[in-house]
Formats: sequence, C-alpha cells, structure tokens
Amino acid sequence: MTATARTGARAATPATAARPPVVGPLLARVGFYVFALVVGAFFALPVLWLLTAPFDADPTLSVAVPSLTLSNFAAMFSNPYVGSSLRNSILLSLGTMLLVVTAAALCAYALSRVRIPGRDLLLYILLLFSSVVSGTAAMVPLFQLINQFGLINTHTGVMLVLAGGLLPAGIFILKDFMDSIPPSYEEFARVAGASPLQTLRDVVVPVARPGLAVVAVWTIVNVWGDFLIPFILLRSPDKAPAAVVMFNFYTEGGQANLRLISAYSFLYSIPVVVMYLFVNRRYGFRFYGGIKR
Amino acid sequence: MAEVTISALVKVFPNGARAADGLDLTIRDGEFFALLGPSGCGKTTLLRMLAGLETPTGGTITLGGQDVTRLPPGKRDLAMVFQDYALYPHMTVTDNIAYPLKVRKVAKDERHAKAREAAGSLQLEELMERRPGQLSGGQQQRVALARALAYPTELFLFDEPLSNLDARLRLEARTFLKRLQTDLGVTTVYVTHDQSEALALADRMAVMDAGRFRQVGAPLEVYQRPSSRFVASFIGSVPMNLLPATVADGGLRVGSNRVPVPAHAREHVAAGDEVVVGARPEYAELLAEPADDALAGTVAVVELLGTEYLVTVEDGDLSVQATAPEDPGIGSRAWVRLGERHTLLYRADDGELVDAPRAASARDQMVAAG
Ligand SMILES: Nc1ncnc2c1ncn2[C@@H]1O[C@H](COP(=O)(O)OP(=O)(O)OP(=O)(O)O)[C@@H](O)[C@H]1O
Ligand SMILES: [Mg+2]
Repeated sequence: MTATARTGARAATPATAARPPVVGPLLARVGFYVFALVVGAFFALPVLWLLTAPFDADPTLSVAVPSLTLSNFAAMFSNPYVGSSLRNSILLSLGTMLLVVTAAALCAYALSRVRIPGRDLLLYILLLFSSVVSGTAAMVPLFQLINQFGLINTHTGVMLVLAGGLLPAGIFILKDFMDSIPPSYEEFARVAGASPLQTLRDVVVPVARPGLAVVAVWTIVNVWGDFLIPFILLRSPDKAPAAVVMFNFYTEGGQANLRLISAYSFLYSIPVVVMYLFVNRRYGFRFYGGIKR
Repeated sequence: MAEVTISALVKVFPNGARAADGLDLTIRDGEFFALLGPSGCGKTTLLRMLAGLETPTGGTITLGGQDVTRLPPGKRDLAMVFQDYALYPHMTVTDNIAYPLKVRKVAKDERHAKAREAAGSLQLEELMERRPGQLSGGQQQRVALARALAYPTELFLFDEPLSNLDARLRLEARTFLKRLQTDLGVTTVYVTHDQSEALALADRMAVMDAGRFRQVGAPLEVYQRPSSRFVASFIGSVPMNLLPATVADGGLRVGSNRVPVPAHAREHVAAGDEVVVGARPEYAELLAEPADDALAGTVAVVELLGTEYLVTVEDGDLSVQATAPEDPGIGSRAWVRLGERHTLLYRADDGELVDAPRAASARDQMVAAG
C-alpha cells in the first residue's frame, strides 16, 4: 500500500515538474523552424526563379509554374554577343586565376619561410589596401593608370587590375597554408640534394595543392561575378564578359528582356555551381585539413 | 672517407638559447657515434649543423677533411632521419623511399627496386603502396629510416630513429642498424635519449648537457667511469647509487656507516672533504650478515628485473640499491657492500670525478668553457 502510494507520488512529481521545461523548448523549437523556413524561402526564391523562368514562355519577375519551352534559349543563342561573352568570361577568369595562383603561391611561400621584421604587418596592410584597389573608390585612378599603360579595352588590363585586387587575400589564405607545412619536408629534400625549384615542384606544391585549388576556385568565382572593372575598362561589346553583356539585355521597348536574362543567368551560373560541387567533392571544403600530423 | 671534425662550434639562437656551447669533437671514419643527453640539450641542433640546415654562430665543421661549415646540405653527401620523420603525405611509401634517388636522376625501375630492398629489411613490404597518413607511428619511423638507407652516402645522421617503436621491434631494428652500419662502414651520428641504445650501438658516445659535452668516450668507459655526477645519474638502466659522504680518518662516512675510500681516489682526497659516492647497483652486493665495510639498513622495496632482483635498502634518509639473485623479503635486515673496485667518488661541490688532483680538473673545465 505504501509502496504503490510512493510510486504514484514519484510518477506524479516528474510529470508536473516536467511540463513547463518540455513546452518551453518545444515552442522555441517550432518558432525557430518557422523563422528558418521564412528566411530559407526568402533566399530560395531567386534560385527558384532562376530554375523556372528560363523555361517559361513568358517570364515575369515572380516565381510561377512555367509553361515549358526552350525558346528562351534559342533566342539567347541567336544573340550575337552571347557566345563571345562566355568565351571572354572564361578567358578572364582563367587568366586572372593563373596570375593570382602563381604569384600568390610564390609570395606566400617566401613570406612563410623567410623571417623579416614586420612581415605580418605588411600582410595586413596589403589586405587592407586590396579592398581599395578593386573598390569603387579607386576607379578613376585605376582607369587613368590603365589608360597610361595603353591597356584600355584589353583583357590584359582587366586581368591585371583584378589580379591586383585579389592577390593580397590570396596570399593571406595561402600563407596560412604554407605555414602549416612542416619545414622538415623541405629540409629533407635539401639534404637529399634537391634544388629549390625541385623542392617547390615535388614537395611544396603537391602538399599545398588543396590550398592552391581553393585560391584558384575562389579567384575564378570572383572574376566570373565581377561587373564593374570589365564594364569600365572594356569598350567594345565583343570583348565584354558575361556579367557586362547581361547588363545590356533590353527589349526594343527599353524594358529588361527577362526571357533573355533568365536563360542567360541560368547558363551563367552553371560553371560556378559545377566548380563548387567539384571542390566540395574533392576537398570537402576542409581547407585546413590538408596536412594531418 | 668521411671523418667528421667539429671545433669550437657555437650555436646561439636569436632568442638567446645556447644550443651548442663550444663543441670540439672528432668522429672517426666509419665510426658509430652516439649523442646522448636530456631533452633540450642541443642534440638535434648539433645534428642539424652537421647536415647544414643550421648555420653555426661560430666554429668550423669538416667532413672528410673538407671545410663544409658554409656548404649547403645537398653538397654534403649525407642522409638524415628527422625526429619528426618528414615523410611526404602525397607520396606512397615507395615514392617516399625512392625520392632521394629520384633527385639523383636514377631511373624509375631501378629506384623502385632499391626502395623495395631497403623497405624489405625493415619489414615494410606490405605497406609499399600506402601513404604515410595510413601508417602507424612506428611504421612511419621505419619508412623514414628506409628512406635514409636507400641511397649511398658518406654520413648517416639519425635523430632518434627508433624512439617510436615498441620494445621488441626496437631491439630488432637496432640490431639491424648495427649490422648494416658495420657492413657499409658509413660514419654514423646517432642521436638518442635512451642510454641503453647508445651503450648498445655506439663505438663511441658523447653525453651532452646544456650545449656541452660532459663526457666523450667508449660506452664501456662511460658506463664504468662516468666523469661527473651528471653523467653517472644519466647512464645505466638502473640509476646509480649516489650517496653523500664525508671523508674521515681513512674512510668515508655515509650516514651512520663507514665504508673504505676506493683505492684509485685515496690520494686525491683529504679528511673533511665532502664527496658523493657513486656505485652501480649491479656491482653492489647484498649481504644477510653484518660486514664492517657494508651499509646497514632495512629492505624497503624489491623489484624483479628478470634474472635478478633490485633491492632498495633504507636506513633513515639513506637509500641504497643493490641487485641480488634472491628476494631477501621486505622488512628484513640487510647489508650492502658497494664493491670498492667499481665505486667512484665525485666532489660534492662541482660534481666532478675524484681521480686526479683538483687543480688539473679545474683547469680542464676552464679549457672546456673557453
Ligand atoms: N629554431 C630554434 N629557435 C630557438 N631556439 C631553439 C631552436 N631550435 C632549438 N632551440 C633551443 O635550443 C635548445 C636545444 O634544442 P634541440 O632541439 O637541439 O634539443 P634536443 O637535444 O634535440 O632535445 P630533444 O631530445 O627534446 O629532441 C633548446 O633549448 C631549444 O629550445
Ligand atoms: Mg631533438
């Protein structure tokens, strides 16, 4: 008798005591999910638009179930600048990527291995200035500089300016990477008789490869999406990259040509997505897990 | 071919650490030379200076008669095993071992054959296609060793190459190394902080402390006649007994006991001198009956060493160890005879061995310091 009473009491106590703590977190949880859903939907809408509008015979700025058609793509490919602009984008991205990766790798390696006073300060100042170099504020002097070099309306000019803007951050990322490579790797190569260049090729570059890949992809994505610099430095439309060409898609009536823009945006975003998937698969975005010791 | 000479070698790091403090040494051609010392005494730094990876602050290094003090590592023709292995994570075991040969432009088939050969002698055949990340610490260490052995050189520099192996493997690898070194006749400098490894492998050895050599000599000599208290306490698988004593009327007063002064030190001490008596447990004798030249006490600890027991006898503050063939039983009364022939005396103040008049030993020290 006493035993049952005690168990009853024990069962009752937790139930009454537990109610508020269970309901509290539950509400918080539900609230959180609703909030997350709203935020998610907000950010998903443009993506949904990008997926539906290109296939819609009559796209508007709203997301709707499309009346399926491929005519937008047909229209897009008949535009004279579409082919050349994609080619230009690829050229600019790859060119800038080569410049940035090569220069950043060499700089980062040197900065990581050579002890000079004020090395870190130098790096931070560079990083600070980089946002100025390719920033809007520096457009006029940049334009004049490139003009003086006679590089206006050339891809070289655009690549140089873009590379200049991206290099400090690239060096910064890569230096972190190079710092994590134990010096004994190179020391062994030196003892074995390898030349500095051999050491770089056989040891440093392969070990730093994940870092190099990150900087390469990051550069390509940056250049791919950059609008302002090619817009200002390039004159003729046949040299313009995709981001700039898209800006000129108007209908005869002066309205934004949504059929063209949606189809073109779709095409334009594919390389970036593919690259993301590739890097994610290959390196899993564990940038700093390159060297496990 | 490759005699190694260092003279007045000094290394001061920018942070002020003195890792080498005036080192003089000649390592003979084909010699297996062990560097022994506590952590941070400068063993790795000395090795790195020999390899050319660290520039000495002062002094010279010659290899085979040629001054190499300023020569880059690749021109010194030596092989090194790093303390942290330095295996390349992006290469297979085969490629790792073959890398020095690749630098020497040996054809692929040949260098892979050489790599397999070197790996075979260290029981690595099964692992040739793996990467270092997929190996255990001991396996990595063996790969690092194989990589140094796979190419012909004048000088081996080993920085604790066996420290991560289990006891059995370590004994095997050490025997293998010794045989290989004898066969090849390559001058070898071997860093270790395991004194038994140094004793077992070396033709000669140096005991280092704080950037200086405390004693250089053949292992047996270092084992039997440590030249200072520091060396005495460092060498020996069971620590040496070091007992404070005072010289008094022809004998030594150790606690409440009296033992004779060892013959070789008799003429160098005078009554009233404070000394430290050094005696190895292996040479000490455990007696069940009193003897007038033995230390009396009670058995406090008995440890089995394998073939014999290590017995700790205590009398007040005094604690003496001796080996005995049988377990005397804890708590029983026992007497320890230190074994006069192997007993050493160290000066209580500077810890130097008492085997010469004091003036001479003081002068030696000045020379070593200068
Ligand atoms: N690059 C460096 N910069 C500054 N000090 C250093 C450097 N390398 C070593 N030292 C110092 O020099 C001393 C000797 O170091 P070293 O690495 O030679 O010791 P070790 O005898 O090899 O020790 P362990 O047995 O732990 O490997 C230490 O006090 C260490 O702190
Ligand atoms: Mg060391």
